Amino acid sequence: MVPKEPPEAGEVLQGTLDMLILRTLVLGAAHGHTIAQAIERTSENALEVEQGSLYPALHRLEDRGWLASEWGVSENNRRAKYYRLTPKGRRELAAATGRWRRMTRAIDLILGSETE
Amino acid sequence: MNLHRYTGRTRKDQDLAEEIESHLAHEQDVQAARGAGPEEAQRRARLRFGNPRTVRERVWRYRSLPWLDDVGRDLRFALRSLARTPGFTVVTLLVLAVGIGVNTAVFSVVDAVLLKPLTYPDPQAMMQLVLTARRGHFGGASIPEFALWSRQSGIFEQIAASGFLPEGVNLTGGDQPEQLQALNVTRDYFALFGAPVIAGRTFTAAEDSPHGGRVVVLSYGLWKQRYGGDPRIVGRTIQLDDQPYLVVGVIGKNFVTDTPVDLWVPTQFDRNSHEMVINYTVVGRLRPGVTVSQANAQMRLAAEQYRRAYGEHSLPPGAGFGVVPLQQYLVGDMRFPLIVLLGAVGFVLLIACANVANLLLARASARRRELATRAAIGAGRGQIVRQLLTESLVLALAGGVLGLMLGFFGVRMLIGINPGNIPRISATGPSIALDPRILLFTLAVSVMTGILFGLIPAIAASQPNLAATLNEGSSRSGMSFRQGKVRSILVVSEVALALILVIGAALLIRTFRKLGEVDPGFDTHNVLTLAMSISGERFQTTAAVAQLVREGQDRLDAVPGVVAAGASNCLPLAQGFGMVFDVVGRPKNGPFTGGAGFYSVSSGYFSSLGIPLVRGRLLTERDDASAPGVVVISQEMARLYWPHGDPLKDRIQIGVGAGPAFAEPPRQVIGIVGDTRNRSVDQPPDPMMYIPIAQMPNGETALNSRVAPVFWIVRTRTNPYTVLAPVEAALREASGNLAVAHVRTMDEVEARNIARQRFNMVLLTLFGLSGLLMAATGVYGVMSYSVQQRRQELGIRMALGAQAWNLRNMVVRQGMVLALLGVAVGLGGAFWLTRFLASFLFEVKTWDPVAFVATPLLLFVVALLAVWVPARRATQVDPMTALRLE
Repeated sequence: MVPKEPPEAGEVLQGTLDMLILRTLVLGAAHGHTIAQAIERTSENALEVEQGSLYPALHRLEDRGWLASEWGVSENNRRAKYYRLTPKGRRELAAATGRWRRMTRAIDLILGSETE
Repeated sequence: MNLHRYTGRTRKDQDLAEEIESHLAHEQDVQAARGAGPEEAQRRARLRFGNPRTVRERVWRYRSLPWLDDVGRDLRFALRSLARTPGFTVVTLLVLAVGIGVNTAVFSVVDAVLLKPLTYPDPQAMMQLVLTARRGHFGGASIPEFALWSRQSGIFEQIAASGFLPEGVNLTGGDQPEQLQALNVTRDYFALFGAPVIAGRTFTAAEDSPHGGRVVVLSYGLWKQRYGGDPRIVGRTIQLDDQPYLVVGVIGKNFVTDTPVDLWVPTQFDRNSHEMVINYTVVGRLRPGVTVSQANAQMRLAAEQYRRAYGEHSLPPGAGFGVVPLQQYLVGDMRFPLIVLLGAVGFVLLIACANVANLLLARASARRRELATRAAIGAGRGQIVRQLLTESLVLALAGGVLGLMLGFFGVRMLIGINPGNIPRISATGPSIALDPRILLFTLAVSVMTGILFGLIPAIAASQPNLAATLNEGSSRSGMSFRQGKVRSILVVSEVALALILVIGAALLIRTFRKLGEVDPGFDTHNVLTLAMSISGERFQTTAAVAQLVREGQDRLDAVPGVVAAGASNCLPLAQGFGMVFDVVGRPKNGPFTGGAGFYSVSSGYFSSLGIPLVRGRLLTERDDASAPGVVVISQEMARLYWPHGDPLKDRIQIGVGAGPAFAEPPRQVIGIVGDTRNRSVDQPPDPMMYIPIAQMPNGETALNSRVAPVFWIVRTRTNPYTVLAPVEAALREASGNLAVAHVRTMDEVEARNIARQRFNMVLLTLFGLSGLLMAATGVYGVMSYSVQQRRQELGIRMALGAQAWNLRNMVVRQGMVLALLGVAVGLGGAFWLTRFLASFLFEVKTWDPVAFVATPLLLFVVALLAVWVPARRATQVDPMTALRLE
């Protein structure tokens, strides 16, 4: 008897979150906390999500083979799991960025960009 | 799809938990750096992270197949809830196992006999060539018929004749002669049946011609057992009846014959012969594209041609030629009984289903509150139905597995009590194995049963009336009207079906008892019979056979413990030959006066079997070849052909017009003996003629010796088997070391004779008993459930002054109304259905009053017993406890 599953928080933005994670990792391997902070910084806290919601995304990406992970020691001298981009993940990032650009362009065209 | 996503979920979850700890620690560091105290830092970290449990659950669920998980959960839940009620589970499983088990067993037999195609290549094209008559067909043929059929090459691609039955031959040349079964076949036999030749070859055209030489083809079994599978056997000679036979080939293991055959010899008949004796059976393969009806049309023309060639009387009036698909021919009259059995066994399964549905329904209503609670906390109707269906499917499949095992033993049992004359299954049972189709059948039956009986309670239990159910006290909620009705209908049908089965069983039991009471006309106790094959050259003349019989009878009489001994060419109750005759001097209105059974017997035949003399005298040693011809007849023959005159004053001429082999002078009727049942127990006595072996025409003896053994009949003082060894020794001495086979007591011959009826009776009785038991369980279940549900009501009644017997009678009345309804419905059904048993019955009507009165009474008593227990329980309700229950 499972209650109906609520839609995953920010499901609409799932693709976005995936892309943000991948982009963060372009610069090098990082553990979950670092990634969370980086995303919060780059998206200027626009993604009002709990930090915890990062982890399902991380694991999903790892299962897809876009990320690889291993345990290591962090800058704070604590145990932490480090994620890095796999070649497959790099390709996906390129593709996703392309898609994202096209989409934001389309949105811009419809809404009329304020920056223009 | 990444399968590794679903593996090692627990390990990965552990990993994630650590990861989250690490994340929280890092965030705590950040917060601490911003100046929060340790506790505040921890609080903020947790706040920012959200609920770790939710995160873990989300990852966990993402890594699962939702439906598989649900099924797993449903399964676990089903097992748990079944384990909580072991009584219910065990009873249900047993009921199902019996229902499915007997179905599997009977289906296996039906499958092996009726459904499975013959093991020959392209079996649909194989036809038995038959003589068609007004009533049915007859699968025998003479040489001229075979020759004519062989020329119908427009319809037959291949055609072959073989002996009716294998003949006994003696394998000699070793220390002990061994009796083997040899089948005469024409040269095309092996190609027609697709027999695999594993060494040498089969017969050539030259070998299958008159004087084609002595050649033999061995079966795989004989080759392995007797010759150790020696490949050099081909080209060697073996001794059969003291004659050398050249082994030309060996047939492979998988070749199945209708009756076991050890070796094959060529028929070597002259295809231009005009001999009309029907010694063969003919099978042909239709040309591709030729239909059965085309073949039949052509065969009808062939019959006209045959009449023109051999005279109008060469075929009986109205008779013709035709073809019957071989499989249908082999299955023959076993088809209908098997279908009836399959129908009866379907009833057993229906009862089982109704019973289990009933049990599940009771269980579901006992669980209404549980289900309602689950619905209240969010379970959808579909989920509850799915859960209940899972439970019943688990039960059904487990029952199916048990049933399959039961069925496996059941098949062994069926073969064990097989009368031995069910075609296509042998005693060793190689043709009934567990095959995928039977597995599939059981599986289908179990799953269908599961859905069938799972659905009713599932729907009944998932009615969306939550509040009412939850508000009701569990013990106050009696059976709701609708459920009560469903359950009552189920019980009534169970009782009705069981009654029909038991009436069927009763009819067959009565039949079997009637058969047992039949007096076969002779004393079957303490009589030993032995068959001795005399197919060799030695016994082609009457004198030789007479010498053997006299010698044997003398030596047997000398064996201590032997009361009387005799010999004959046939045994009573085991079929025999027939012959036409004329009464000398009587004007005839047809080609002959009449026909009668024809046994050639020794002087000791009547005393060894205990057949009484009615008038005149019996045969003696002096009625030999030099004495005038004599014949003893049976009472039935006297009654039929001498309704007014005295047969003892007449002479008869036997075998008029039957051919030169049967020509003989007239015989004086010298005695009249009692009637015996010679065909089978359930057939009335035929008119009989008994001729001294010593007075047989030579030609007839030669024919006889080739196809039939000599039967020795030995009456003993005590158990016949105690004297078996000296009897066999005496016969070996008398015959110059010939083997005996088919050693049976006359009681065994009689038992074999009614084995098929026994088979039917045992089966239907088993069905009836299991049906009865299940129906009783059903009645008991409904009533005890009803009593339990109405405890409070009963308590109030008692508190208000009802006596124990009041309550008991109330429950009994309600239960018996159901049972009686079932009996009434069942009686109606039985009146209509027992007609299908008509051909199974002997001297019992399909509406036999005994069966139709005794069976309902039996059912009534069983139902009363089943109701009594819950009724007594009703009287033991303690009013105070019952009232306080809520």
